[in-house]
Amino acid sequence: MSCKLTQIENGVEGIFVKNERFSTTLISFHFYLPLKKETAAGYSLLPFLMTTCSEKYPDFSKLNYKLSKLYGASLEASAEKVGDLQSLKIAVSVIDDKYALDGEALCEQACELLLRLIFAPKVENGEFAKEDVEREKRKAIEHIRGEFAEKRVYARKRLIEEMYGDDDFATPKCGTEEQVAELDGKALYEMWKTLLSKAFVRVNVISSNLPNGLFEKIGEHFAAFDRTDITDRFAHRPTAPRSEVKEVTERMDLSQGKLSIGFSCDTSGDDYATGALAVMCDILGGGPYSKLFSNVREKMSLCYYCSSSAIRIKGLLTVDSGVESQNAETAKNAILDQLNAIKNGEISDFEFSSSKKSLTDGLCTVNDSQAGIDAWYATRISNRNLMSPEDFAKTIENVTRENIIATANGIKLHTVYRLLPKEVKA
Amino acid sequence: MKKTVFESPIGQSYIKAVHPSGLEIYIMEKPQHTSAYALFGTRYGSIDTKFSKNGEAVTEVPEGIAHFLEHKLFESEDGDAFTRYAETGAYANAYTSFDRTCYLFSCSNRFYENLAILLDFVQSPYFTAETVQKEQGIIGQEIKMYDDSPSWCVMFNMLREMYQSHPVRIDIAGTVDSIAQIDDKLLYRCYDTFYNPANMFICIAGNVDAERILTQINESIKDKPPVTIERGEFTEEHSVAKSYVEQELDVALPMFCFGYKQKIETPIRSLKTRICVSLLLELICGEASPLFAKLIREGLINDEFDSEYFCGHGYASFIFEGESSNPERVAEEIKAEIKRLKADGIDKKLFSAAKCSLYGEAIRRFDSVDAIAMQFVECAMTDYNLFDELKLLKTVTIEDVTKRLALFDDDCTVLSVIKPRQTGGEA
Repeated sequence: MSCKLTQIENGVEGIFVKNERFSTTLISFHFYLPLKKETAAGYSLLPFLMTTCSEKYPDFSKLNYKLSKLYGASLEASAEKVGDLQSLKIAVSVIDDKYALDGEALCEQACELLLRLIFAPKVENGEFAKEDVEREKRKAIEHIRGEFAEKRVYARKRLIEEMYGDDDFATPKCGTEEQVAELDGKALYEMWKTLLSKAFVRVNVISSNLPNGLFEKIGEHFAAFDRTDITDRFAHRPTAPRSEVKEVTERMDLSQGKLSIGFSCDTSGDDYATGALAVMCDILGGGPYSKLFSNVREKMSLCYYCSSSAIRIKGLLTVDSGVESQNAETAKNAILDQLNAIKNGEISDFEFSSSKKSLTDGLCTVNDSQAGIDAWYATRISNRNLMSPEDFAKTIENVTRENIIATANGIKLHTVYRLLPKEVKA
Repeated sequence: MKKTVFESPIGQSYIKAVHPSGLEIYIMEKPQHTSAYALFGTRYGSIDTKFSKNGEAVTEVPEGIAHFLEHKLFESEDGDAFTRYAETGAYANAYTSFDRTCYLFSCSNRFYENLAILLDFVQSPYFTAETVQKEQGIIGQEIKMYDDSPSWCVMFNMLREMYQSHPVRIDIAGTVDSIAQIDDKLLYRCYDTFYNPANMFICIAGNVDAERILTQINESIKDKPPVTIERGEFTEEHSVAKSYVEQELDVALPMFCFGYKQKIETPIRSLKTRICVSLLLELICGEASPLFAKLIREGLINDEFDSEYFCGHGYASFIFEGESSNPERVAEEIKAEIKRLKADGIDKKLFSAAKCSLYGEAIRRFDSVDAIAMQFVECAMTDYNLFDELKLLKTVTIEDVTKRLALFDDDCTVLSVIKPRQTGGEA
């Protein structure tokens, strides 16, 4: 397997990951723009709008018929937060031509389809059609409301909102329901133009062969846009510590409570800078060998689940757990005790080596999945150099106990969010 | 060991071996991959609440015991299996469904050590009164988590109305009351019945050496006389208890699960029927179908909409699920579309597109070691060959699929809806 980076245009990079273990080709466009309250809803709607219709395929029945004929080629759209950037994805995946039963040129057709969706959308009189916009707005609003049903997701979302307040990072990845409701076809068309001119763009191609002339064609399309003012992909604001811990409790009709805790870290940045934070977070609440799992969940039986995760580029550590209402305070204290243990250097040989082995083993499996490889490079946009999963595994191997303890000592409790059942007062 | 090699027209091959104990082993070598995935499973799930072993009297066990057993099997006298996997760095997990329980790991290093752990702990039960009691608390919390999960409730509410006696109607994890009746002796009784190699299978795909695996398995399988298992009989009428059920939970938009109960004469569905039904579901409501376009255009469904052929030992149904402001309308539209297809026939162009689409999906699954191992599980459960799907997809005709439209019986449907609570949350 090899990985090669090509400069296609100003702020447009192509990465070709040559990988012969797959029977499919994946071509994935990632657009990066600053995450802002005012624009998050509009930008996040674009990938969904652009993958349901285009000038050539004006309705999605026609588009989906074409995809079926391409042996179930799949289109994917998503909007995510990558640090202080908003990341928008439009991708196509298609089986290799050699599997086509009638010798069809599937890859070429899939590439053409993808470029049409991105660069030749369905526009009428300088705006996206009302029918299409209203459909996607409705779906987006229903998706936002749907997050409310999954309390684990909801609790985490609420924690981030409480932690970051007015900061743009508090913005949900698809904006708010009110912001989506205000969008119209004209505003979205203007945003589409900004997306193609100002976004930093990565095109990941994961295949046994780079489709002929693909990067050149992409370059020609971008040449039609003014690409002088490109989003700074390295601009991320570290999480500031709080002098006084923020405590929030919300109550709903539930049978089980959720406890989400946010911490600021004084180390933040790209993979090169945060290997120790990755290991520290994993020892705290990664696999079954972690402190939270083995102590808080298994030994103390305080939570059904209890795990930690880190957004290292932001210097943000979070712990998510499911708790019985009456155990919420005990669980919170137990979680903080486990972090303090790491701060005090209480890391067993078992925890230290298990975590490293689990992380490095997991990193080595990334290359067995196209989606995994695509996500790997898409979320590491702020690394100065391309870092492969194997490279990061080496960084992890070199992390010492001292690195972990020093990292843990820079972690400060920021916000405690509880979602508890109504009937029982904690 | 009896070995058979199967080869596909697209250059893949795999080995199926049968150990003298009756254990089935499926292996696909994927030398270009870095990782490997292995699974040790038993044909034992939540529906096995009544059974007899070797002609003995029928035993009735508490609901949720298969899932409980899965949790407990990870423990041994000197620690748990997770701790042992932590030494190797593998990812390990297990799951229990209606008709199977599977223990699995994936790794990119030290495969044979991991396989040794898997073979050992699945064959070494250790249950005591204390450990059982502790687990009752943990699983009790898990059950409560499901009680809050709208997607879980919407499905089980439907199954409870659709099936009156078949245990597919019960929750996989059981209830707080039912698991309270479980003790170490009952666990051993279930283990000794269903965790016999003759009722089990091992499925492996990835960067592995099949011969080495077979030797290792051969040396590790504990000698046990094969058992004969008779599963409890459930007289299930072809009717539903109620055609509509609803519950209020904390959701913003109503969720629905609309199912057609299939009338079945035998417990297992053939692969051909499964493929025909998959194509049919694609034609009824797939993304290229007229119905999907209509439902989206009229604001009745969103991207959560999906369909499934839900079938296992003694049950089969066609399920449509999603979120909608008007689930009743969605159910009516689905019924109307099936009626239309019965009257007008299936569009040839759409049929050929749906076939292409499913064929492409089948090809894709060979890219993932996890997906291959999961398909091996289906092979073990239904006794078909991994490549039969590709062959059948090439030969299946529009008539084969049209014939299956008759399986949709309008008088045997259940619509389950989760509605938003009348009073919302408060800060």
